[in-house]
Amino acid sequence: MHARGIVGVGSALAIAVAALTASAEPTPTVDIQLFQFKPGAVEVKAGTAITWTNGDDIEHTVTSGDPEHRTYRFDQHLSGRGSTTTIKLNEPGVYPYFCDRHPSMRGEVRVNPSEP
Amino acid sequence: MKKQMIAWVGAASVVMLTGCAQSMAQPPAHGAMATPMATSSGTKAAELRAGLNNLFSEHVYLAGAATNAALGGREAEFKAAAAALDANSVAISKAIGSVYGEGAEKAFLPLWRRHIGFVVDYTVGVAGNDKAKQDKAVNDLVAYTQDFGAFLSSANPNLPKSVVADLVKHHVVTLKTVIDAQASKDPARAYTALRAAAGHMQMIADPLAEAIVKQFPDKFAG
Repeated sequence: MHARGIVGVGSALAIAVAALTASAEPTPTVDIQLFQFKPGAVEVKAGTAITWTNGDDIEHTVTSGDPEHRTYRFDQHLSGRGSTTTIKLNEPGVYPYFCDRHPSMRGEVRVNPSEP
Repeated sequence: MKKQMIAWVGAASVVMLTGCAQSMAQPPAHGAMATPMATSSGTKAAELRAGLNNLFSEHVYLAGAATNAALGGREAEFKAAAAALDANSVAISKAIGSVYGEGAEKAFLPLWRRHIGFVVDYTVGVAGNDKAKQDKAVNDLVAYTQDFGAFLSSANPNLPKSVVADLVKHHVVTLKTVIDAQASKDPARAYTALRAAAGHMQMIADPLAEAIVKQFPDKFAG
């Protein structure tokens, strides 16, 4: 029970959803176009912010997990063409995600440990 | 009896939504459709227009066959029609992929199948006299028109989202008329509506073909 609580708090701290305005390194980007996440998989170091830009004239979401197994780590809504969202994942791991409105849209973020 | 029929329509709808394994394993080339309407003046543009018209009208006739079999309680016929309808869906997605690439093809297919699932929901609602289910399916279909419009609009700037959405909405309405007539056991009205629904698909196929030709004039000369 205690260990589970620590894991929960750790997970919450490890994920920061933020609108970053400045960064030392270029922000990896994912374009949403023709109901696809492009690229479908991105690999980043822990703590790197990733930005999604919606190129479709419809709302999409960037929702963690898959439609059958939501992980509730992030759930960002992009209202329409030109809208963006930025997510920073601090904890190494593999994060599948999907669009809640169009469940066949799938993507994945692989977060590697940052260098010491 | 009715409950049993609804159950297998529901089960078969899963086949339609997830894709018939047989049709996926042996997708028909969209240029090899059985519909005897294919005529063209021989140009790439004319072939594209004729091909899309064939696929979309076939979609309506197969959908009508599937819903008619479902409402009539003919399980084997429904399953066969549903499989043929899914093969048509695969062919339409391949046509999209031939223009916009494999990624677009893969994205289009589940989107297209989704509206078929909503039509199945509506049919099940009609068969079970479930007004709430019918209303939800209609609302889902109306919402879907926005998705479909957005997809084609994203693919082709010559296709405004609202125009495509309205055309697809009309497709939904005409198909609903077919299903309602089938459910009321009025074959004359059902087949008249079916012809109208199939004929309407030209209103989608022609602008789509025209927009593609405008977007890729070198690829679709003529």
